[in-house]
Order: sequence, then structure tokens, then C-alpha cells
Amino acid sequence: MTELLSSDEFRAALEDAMTGREAKDASFSRAWAEGRLERKHFARWAENHYHYVGPFADYLAYIYANTPDSATDAKDFLLQNMWEEEISDVRHTDLLIQFAEVCGTTREAVEDPSNITAVTRGLQSWCYAVAMREHFVVATAALVVGLESQVPSIYRKQLPPLVDPDVYGFTEEETEFFDLHITSDEIHGERGYQIVLKYADTPELQQRCIDITRDGADMRFAYTKALYDTYVAPDLGAWESQPVAV
Amino acid sequence: MSPPISGPGSHNRWPSDLPRIRFETSDREIEFEDGQDVNLLRLSIRHDCGLPWKCASGLCGTDRILIVEGAEHLSEPRRRERERLGELLDDGVRLACQTYASGSVTVVWDPTQRGIDEDSAAGKRLKAQWLAPEPDGEESR
Ligand code: FES
Repeated sequence: MTELLSSDEFRAALEDAMTGREAKDASFSRAWAEGRLERKHFARWAENHYHYVGPFADYLAYIYANTPDSATDAKDFLLQNMWEEEISDVRHTDLLIQFAEVCGTTREAVEDPSNITAVTRGLQSWCYAVAMREHFVVATAALVVGLESQVPSIYRKQLPPLVDPDVYGFTEEETEFFDLHITSDEIHGERGYQIVLKYADTPELQQRCIDITRDGADMRFAYTKALYDTYVAPDLGAWESQPVAV
Repeated sequence: MSPPISGPGSHNRWPSDLPRIRFETSDREIEFEDGQDVNLLRLSIRHDCGLPWKCASGLCGTDRILIVEGAEHLSEPRRRERERLGELLDDGVRLACQTYASGSVTVVWDPTQRGIDEDSAAGKRLKAQWLAPEPDGEESR
């Protein structure tokens, strides 16, 4: 890429980079939305998910430290995002653990890093590596645009069956983790886009943001697919062999 | 004569049949695709429509809006919104960060407004959490 894209072109390119690899379309997400999972599968999901999202404020803190003082709005966005994850109200990971416990696992099992797949470990490591080593705008593209901005589209499909008494039958309180992130990550995602659109101010930086957004989407897709392959396929069979939902 | 629409790629053209959110206080209108539903605060942030906000989590109430038209196109109030707004909901007030629209809606707000108060359940929980001494050797997580 040799020319700077306009804001609209750049946003479209970032969105395109995720097309076809969104985690909402991975096998585990689809089985979830179609009502095929059991509580034990959600328990395994929570044990893995904790180790991906639990350190989110840590990832953001590395980006914060790499962000120049002149980019005050970007620093403030990162700080606010960290604050919301950790201390704005109930700690978000506590809401995740609350859901996990209803699904039959324990806080100790959730916090135990030996209970995760190798792919989850890879996702967590990738998040740390990108946050520590990349230019702040590239890291923001990876973690906020490529990963966090997908959350509303995933949970808006997954929450309705969770609280449907005829599907999974959880209560509103038990599923607050999902409801909270549907709305808050709309705003985080949008602010993330704005930071990336503003500070990726060379063709080279724009291209790096597009590429890493694609990598982030690939990472989240692989993580979600691995949950199905590891925990659900032994019960239901390979996803490819599943009847197509109507 | 109708006013021109402002929105993505739609500056200075005449109104179409697309649904739109009218941010009356800042005199902005944003169209969106039919069949989509849009988060009101996200739309305001994306298009610089000036709605004040702070937490984006249904806690502070800074982004409260009065629905002038189109309330039937809004999502049902979520739990945090019900807790935060209480009887204000019956007066037609919503929290933009918690609300999705699937059709045309008009909203107004007070441009100087701040959070509702600090005595909410969440505010009290936070104060208790911050002011409580940490037991020795115990992590807060
Ligand atoms: S911005 Fe705080 S309640 Fe919506």
C-alpha cells in the first residue's frame, strides 16, 4: 500500500480484514447459538475464557506504557477500558466466574491455567506479545478492533438462548457477564476504531493495522474452534458432521 | 421542505426512506441500514453527535436521553438500565449506551448533564470496595 487511505476506506479495510473469520461463525459459537451445548461445555469455555480475558487490563497496560503522552485521547481510552474491566463495578472476571460456577465448575478450576487448551495459551501469549512489542496503534488494532470489537456480535447471538427457559434456562443475573459486554464493547470497539483511524497516519501503519486485525480475528476464530474440537466433538462428533441448522 | 440529512456518505442530500436517529439537541441525523439495529451511544460517538457519556456500562447515567419519537423501535430496557433509571424510565428516559434502535427515533438531552448521582447501588459498592482495608497478604482479585 503506497497511498494513505481515507478514514472511510481504512475503516472498511479493517472491517473486511475480519470478514469470513469472525468468531461468531466458529463451530463452538454456532453450536452454542443453536442450543446444542450442555452446561459442562460452558464450564470448559469459562475455564478457557478466563485466561484470555482475565489479563485484558494487563495487555492494555503494556499498550498504555507504549503510547506517547501526546496521544492523550488514546491513553485515556486505554485507562478507561482497564478501569471498566477491573474496578468500575463488579470485576468482569468475577462475573465470568459467577457464570462458571452455575455451570458446575469452581473458582479454583477457572483460575488454574492448566485447565486450558494449547490454543487458548497461544491466544493469551499472542495478546501479551502484541501489546508489549507493537506500535501502540497496531496493538490497539489487534486487541480492540480485531478481538474486542467482535464481542457484541458474538454475545448478541449467544445470550438469547442462554436465558431462554426452553434452551439453556439461565437467569438474567447468572448471565450478566454477557449482557454487560454486549453494550460496553460496542463503545470500546467504536473508540478503538477511532483511535486507529486517527493515529495510523502513514500507509505503512495503516497496512500493519489491517494485517494485524486479520491476525487477531484468525486467533479468536482458532481459539473458539479449538473449544469445540476439544470439549464438544467427543460428545457430539466433528462439527462438519453436524446436521445443518434450519 | 425537509432538512438535509447528515450521516455517513450522505451529507447535503435529501431524506431517504432509511431509518434514522435524530439527535435533536445537536441537530444531527444519522441514517442506518434497514434491518440493522444500532446502539445509540455508539452511533453518536462514531458520528460526533455530541451526546455526553462516561462509563458505557449503564452505571453513571451521564448519557440519559429523552425519547421524543420512536420509542416503539427501541430495545427493552436492560437490567442495569432499569436499576440506574428507576422511575425515569416511565417518563421516557433511556440510557443511550444500553439502548438499541431498529427504526427511526428522535432524542434530546441536556448538553450540560452529568452522572445521575453517586449514591447508586454501584456507587456504594465501589466506595465500600475502595475504602475497605485489604486483609494482610490477600489479593484483591
Ligand atoms: S455512559 Fe454511563 S450509563 Fe451510559
